[in-house]
Amino acid sequence: MKIGVYRLSVERAEAPSPTRVALGALLAVALALLLASVLFWTPESGPWAAYRIAFGYAFVNPSGLGATVHRAVYLLLCTLAFLIPLRGGLWNIGLPGQVYAGALAAFAVPFWAGARELSSGTAGGVALVSMPLAAALAGAALGALVGLLRAKLAVNEILVTMMLNSVMFWLVSDFIKEGGAFMSATAEGESFTLPEVFRPPLPLGLPPSAFLGLAAAVVVDFVFSRAAAGYRVRTFGLNPHAARYAGIDPVRVSLWVFVLGGAFSGLAGYHYFAAVPGLYKIPTNYGYYGDLSFYGIICALIARGSALGAVPMALLFAGLSVGGRFAQGALRLPFGVDYAILGLLMTTFVLSHLVDRYRVVWQRAAPAPTSAPPRPEGAR
Amino acid sequence: MSELLVRSLEASTVFLLAALGELVNQRSGILNVGLEGLMLFGGTAAFLMAQSTGSYAAGLAGGIAVGSLLGWVHGLFSVRLRGDQVVSGMGLWILSFGLTTYLGSPRTGPLGLPRFPALLGLSPFVYFGILLVVAVWFVLSRTSLGLAIRSVGESPAAAAASGVNVAGIRYLCVVFGGALAGLAGAAYTLSYNPVWNYNFLMGWGFVSLALVFFSMWNPWVLLGGSVLFGAMWQLSLSPEYVLPGVLSRYVWRTVPFAVTIAILTVISTPWFRTRWGLAKPQALGVPYGD
Repeated sequence: MKIGVYRLSVERAEAPSPTRVALGALLAVALALLLASVLFWTPESGPWAAYRIAFGYAFVNPSGLGATVHRAVYLLLCTLAFLIPLRGGLWNIGLPGQVYAGALAAFAVPFWAGARELSSGTAGGVALVSMPLAAALAGAALGALVGLLRAKLAVNEILVTMMLNSVMFWLVSDFIKEGGAFMSATAEGESFTLPEVFRPPLPLGLPPSAFLGLAAAVVVDFVFSRAAAGYRVRTFGLNPHAARYAGIDPVRVSLWVFVLGGAFSGLAGYHYFAAVPGLYKIPTNYGYYGDLSFYGIICALIARGSALGAVPMALLFAGLSVGGRFAQGALRLPFGVDYAILGLLMTTFVLSHLVDRYRVVWQRAAPAPTSAPPRPEGAR
Repeated sequence: MSELLVRSLEASTVFLLAALGELVNQRSGILNVGLEGLMLFGGTAAFLMAQSTGSYAAGLAGGIAVGSLLGWVHGLFSVRLRGDQVVSGMGLWILSFGLTTYLGSPRTGPLGLPRFPALLGLSPFVYFGILLVVAVWFVLSRTSLGLAIRSVGESPAAAAASGVNVAGIRYLCVVFGGALAGLAGAAYTLSYNPVWNYNFLMGWGFVSLALVFFSMWNPWVLLGGSVLFGAMWQLSLSPEYVLPGVLSRYVWRTVPFAVTIAILTVISTPWFRTRWGLAKPQALGVPYGD
């Protein structure tokens, strides 16, 4: 396109700079928030009032802030669960299924210890270690199945993880409803409530899983940027064929990224259902918490695979979902504002890919000749 | 039992319509892993349109239009911008999952219209689905358009060299796939189960996607697979017809998904892959262009 003496064109950018990538991520979030303001709009109050209510509750109100931080930890763990396989070029969208597996395994520990009959403390510290460990192992086992199928037989991991999500969703129902093993004594379609002795301590108001998640983010970034294991996973993710020629074992990479991813999801299940104050059970609407794990996908994608970069994203999206729900009630908005924001964020992330892949070139056009060049002598 | 048969055929049709569109999509080399999202959006649009206007025709038109539009968006990203097809598909799925929850929630509940008209005791979608299998098979294997579709799915460079408009064919297929996904969603919300609930599909789209892989990209095998899965789905809802009192109803609900994983595993074995590998479009999921 020509504007005055300048020519404007769009060209492919083969290797986007880090600045362009960061700009794309910021634009994605800003555009999603702008689009979401339409959802928040009501005749009585404009969109900014809704944002004020949402962010005020999520980040200023003490009760809301607590909920935001706990949710942010959950999202961070889910982010790690998605991010590690993603660096290996694999999509772990089985986060909800692995979260459910982790929750069931965590609750199996007090169940076997006879928690339903416990009224006073006899469990001790062993349960506080064994519950998150069981959760991580259950998630890892589910991840290992996906990783093995992918590594050995090249089975599509997206389909397998989605199928496992549904399998685990119904298995949780089997455990907590209609006479299920973990059903509460009140038979309200939820699990028994954890006795106090099985609840983890809350130093600084946070369960140990929160500190574990933050430490894991540091380690994951270090491994991917400095360690040989991270290099192998990244190489495999960028070009599996080249990785094979470089002696990288595709079976080990596929298996381990899914095992680790599953372990983090399982831990996320433990965190939300067994370690967050106010819950300490698998509630009837456990599917909502499973759906929330998809925010982990967005965090990892927008942070472009950086675990520490995902921390502020997790905090922001946790605040948006917690505050969005609060604003939804306060302004009588339709249900599902947090789901809509999830969808919009994913769309704007896809659009932000364009910012990475294309660049606008603004060049001064060569001046057009004003008159015909003089004809050489003797020319006819 | 006849009711079970009828319901099974209707469930099969939902799988068939979505999978048939995706089959055409994939034969042209475009993979849309967001099929479930297109079905969700198409089904929700159809439900809302039908409920608002009181007209099934308007609902169907709305479902097909929204599905086509989302298919076109996938085409824009995959064909024109040569983006990662998995990223685009996942984006469409999560967008649809999020927005349909928000848009449909105020209308949660039954459609509130007279039952969708039946033809000889069956939903008209069943007959339409079978006709569509014949049409897709005929077009793909007996016409020059089908040859063009298959050629861009196998080797777009060779197709372009022989004068085929690769981008045009791929757009056509991806919009067709989107339209059928929207129709499948509409068949679900208007006829099979006319009650709106958030995330009402819960995996139907992903099972349909798996069916395309099972079918080895053959419409007739896809028809058989859809009938099998429709029956299995219905039996998982009514296990008392097969094994009354055995296992809880929640465990039965896991069966179609577990079987899908088992079949995916079997068709990925080296023995099976020698045949499957031959049928798979060579350029599937690979962007084409300079």
